[in-house]
Amino acid sequence: MLVENRAGSERALALVIALEILIFAFTGPNFLSTGNAFEIVRLGVELGLLALALSPIIVTGGIDLSVGSMMGLCAVVFGFLWRDLHVPIVFAGLAALATGVAGGALNALLITRFGGAPLIVTLGTYSLFRGIAEGLTRGVENFSQFPPAFLYIGQGYLGGIIPAQALVFVVFAAFFWLLLHRSIYGRALRAIGFAAAGNGDARWAGIPVARRLALSYTLSGFTAAAASLIYVAHLGQARSDAGTGYELLAITAVVLGGASIAGGRGSIWGTLLGLTAIVVLQNGLRVSALPVELAGILTSAILVVTIAISQLRFTPAPEAEEDQMKNSQLAVLSAVIIAGSLIVAGSNWWLVRSIRPAPATGSAAAAPIRHTIAVMPKAKGDPYFVSTRLGAEAAAKELGQDLIWDGPADLDPARQNEVVEAWITRGVDTIAVAVINAPGISTVLRKARAKGIKVLTWDADAQPDARDFFVNQATPQGIGETLADEANRILGGSGDFAIITGALTAANQNEWIRYIKARIADKYPKLNLITIRPSDDDRNRAFSEAQTLMKVYPKMRLIMAISAPAVPGAAEAVKQSGRQDVKVTGLSLPNMCKPYVKAGIADSVVLWNTLDLGYLVVNASRQAADGTLKAGATSMDGGRLGTIGVEGSQVVLGKPLVFTKENIDKFDF
Amino acid sequence: MKQRATAIAIFWALLLTTMALRAPSFFEFGNLRDIAVTNASALIVATGMTLVIIAGEIDVSVGSQFAVASVIAGTLVKAGLPLPLTALITLFAGACFGALNGFLVTTLGVPSIVATLAAMAFWRELLRWITQGAWVQGLPASFQWMGLSQAHGELAILAASAALFGAFAWAMRHLHCGRAVYAVGSNRESARLAGLPVPLITFSVFTLMGALTAVAAVLDSVRFSQVQSSAGAGLELKAISAVVIGGTAITGGTGGLWGTLLGASVLAVIAPALTFLGINAFWEKAIQGGIILGAIVLERVSKRGGRRAR
Repeated sequence: MLVENRAGSERALALVIALEILIFAFTGPNFLSTGNAFEIVRLGVELGLLALALSPIIVTGGIDLSVGSMMGLCAVVFGFLWRDLHVPIVFAGLAALATGVAGGALNALLITRFGGAPLIVTLGTYSLFRGIAEGLTRGVENFSQFPPAFLYIGQGYLGGIIPAQALVFVVFAAFFWLLLHRSIYGRALRAIGFAAAGNGDARWAGIPVARRLALSYTLSGFTAAAASLIYVAHLGQARSDAGTGYELLAITAVVLGGASIAGGRGSIWGTLLGLTAIVVLQNGLRVSALPVELAGILTSAILVVTIAISQLRFTPAPEAEEDQMKNSQLAVLSAVIIAGSLIVAGSNWWLVRSIRPAPATGSAAAAPIRHTIAVMPKAKGDPYFVSTRLGAEAAAKELGQDLIWDGPADLDPARQNEVVEAWITRGVDTIAVAVINAPGISTVLRKARAKGIKVLTWDADAQPDARDFFVNQATPQGIGETLADEANRILGGSGDFAIITGALTAANQNEWIRYIKARIADKYPKLNLITIRPSDDDRNRAFSEAQTLMKVYPKMRLIMAISAPAVPGAAEAVKQSGRQDVKVTGLSLPNMCKPYVKAGIADSVVLWNTLDLGYLVVNASRQAADGTLKAGATSMDGGRLGTIGVEGSQVVLGKPLVFTKENIDKFDF
Repeated sequence: MKQRATAIAIFWALLLTTMALRAPSFFEFGNLRDIAVTNASALIVATGMTLVIIAGEIDVSVGSQFAVASVIAGTLVKAGLPLPLTALITLFAGACFGALNGFLVTTLGVPSIVATLAAMAFWRELLRWITQGAWVQGLPASFQWMGLSQAHGELAILAASAALFGAFAWAMRHLHCGRAVYAVGSNRESARLAGLPVPLITFSVFTLMGALTAVAAVLDSVRFSQVQSSAGAGLELKAISAVVIGGTAITGGTGGLWGTLLGASVLAVIAPALTFLGINAFWEKAIQGGIILGAIVLERVSKRGGRRAR
């Protein structure tokens, strides 16, 4: 019954994957190509390793939430040993793996010796590991420039086609398969899980429960460390935010594969199928240029449906009805998938339709060539990039171009690489990226250029040889210095101020802070930066931080908030405190800050015109695609922006704007 | 599980003593009030989470539900609905989100962590897709503080959350339905044999969780004049941590709301306390994780001590 049931859920999952492939073969250009198949494998490796690590644990009825944080810690340890302590790279790698083992052993110790519930213990180490990684690097440290031989693990291709890390994955998958399905250990883990699910204790069967559990958690730490090394090699950069949020996707893959979260059931094949279903869905949506939010929505729908079906089948049913049940359940599953695919197809159709009627402008003879311009923000949900998108869409409409706007939901450099890969597969005309991580993305951008795609960067640059042009709205230096100048102006030459940043690990903000500090040391020695507090890009968190800062530092006269949601958060705190002597400045969008700027709480807000930036990016992309904008040009036609200067390979939008009470009403974004 | 609450209470006393010695201004009325107002909504969510965990389940979708409820409330007010009606509709919507989780868990038999994991991704991504990250701006002036003055608005928020917390604390101890939640959590089969409608109780607990999350979302939103669409990020972990630190067993059946109050206050105080003590923000996450692990270790140690004494 149990074995048969497992086979059933695997069959259902195989059906889901087949349907996904079928749909995407129609909606995604070049989705069905060997190259894309290997790309899918490559992008799934880190996630897949975590899912493998979680499989034996979930089989025992446990869980490990700390695997994503463990990746961050191991990445930092590795980078620190190699760069700062000059440890040979092989030993640094081994030390990172040892860190993983130690972390896994800590989980094991707390669970087996101190009787902590796995969920709680690993919830604690989830914070602890990430916290140590952030503490060690102070959030800013960023280790890069690893030797090419190491980077090959994450970026190279065996024989020019098979991704190098796929080999590592196969080895791990084989190991975990042997462990779980062909060894006495696997049987013990299964027994532990069965016993736990039935409120029993496997010790009654003479199984050394504590030792077997310790094995599975320690292995999980080791595997997470291996995943982090591949992640670092893949992106060419080791940072404390490696693997953020991966734990939930990995758990989803395992559970989708038919493992019971209560314990006892689960297989490596199932995990691999679950992983494939998720990764194919993500890649397919990207290649089809569909909104990535659909990935989360569809994954959760598929998850609930497959689990519900396998659960319902667990309830005892008369033997005769068995087959009938199976068919009806498969029918339900198929119905859900077809409904999902209709949504996908429908929105695709709608997308195409909404783009087509655009080229009404211009006479028939001079109809512009339609290029597919792909533009990627750093994070889709960030209000700053949301407003850039409006400008980009306006430009695409005006110029009669097809615009694809996609990117990571949060600042996730690995996702940016995935999206570029998908665009290369799809075959777009230009790619314009707001780069999160220059060394990491440059490899894929070079690949795109080699395929004849014009590559631009905007907001933040990649390595110069990886792109044709950089649309430079204002350099980090320009922003940092403008903010420092504003602080000096508001404080009247001397006084205490504090900074509220985004996430402590945010690369952008950390760079601005560097230039702010440099400018102050250089020009305004009487300004005193008391402290830097994080807001995690959350308005409410910024509010609380500002409240506390005002009490702890009564002499503080200025809060500089440098993440878009933090300015209204800090300004609201100042408003509610009733303090007239504290002002707020920072980097944010005018609409969010309007009430506070008008009330005089936020003295000024700094930003460039994001609408113009989006407009210019699309405009420059089109001109790069049709050859109007060539290397060596000194200016370009900026459409409604007039003539735009080009310096070397940089298209320069201009200085950042300073919004004040007087001019803020003129801007609506 | 009493031991864990005792361990935390000792830690709590140590922290407060440190604050009294190193930064006495921490205890100024204004500061305590601000911390309480800021964390009132988290306490309400943790209250619901306590019920869910006592019933032997878990809900990791509260953060996403919180965001959706906030945006619903903001959008309705912006459309011109009066605030009381908005609050009612939001409450109903929240109850529906919770009921959906309850349906998946009880009727379809999906384990709660899987069902709510799916709900978490579903609501968050759906909201992202619809709003594209945009905030609800341009709300009428009567939105902030529910049209009251700031001082009265703060008082109303505190009173509402205290009343809700008190009512649940009392009901869980003294009412039949409160005891039933414990019964279901400690042993489902015995509860069923004792004649309790187990699926109905589980379903109700999830529905209540959703409703309480919606109340929390409304009370949190009215502290500001605009609604951010990414609200409630990480709220599920905060609520679960508060419950667990407070000594409620994740396996269900034991624990209580007073422990949760203790856990929620420890978590609420850490970030401001670190700022007051001048400790660098980079270590904050490590300290939070350390507290949870410390509670587990201390609990075990004090249990052993107790056994030896006997």
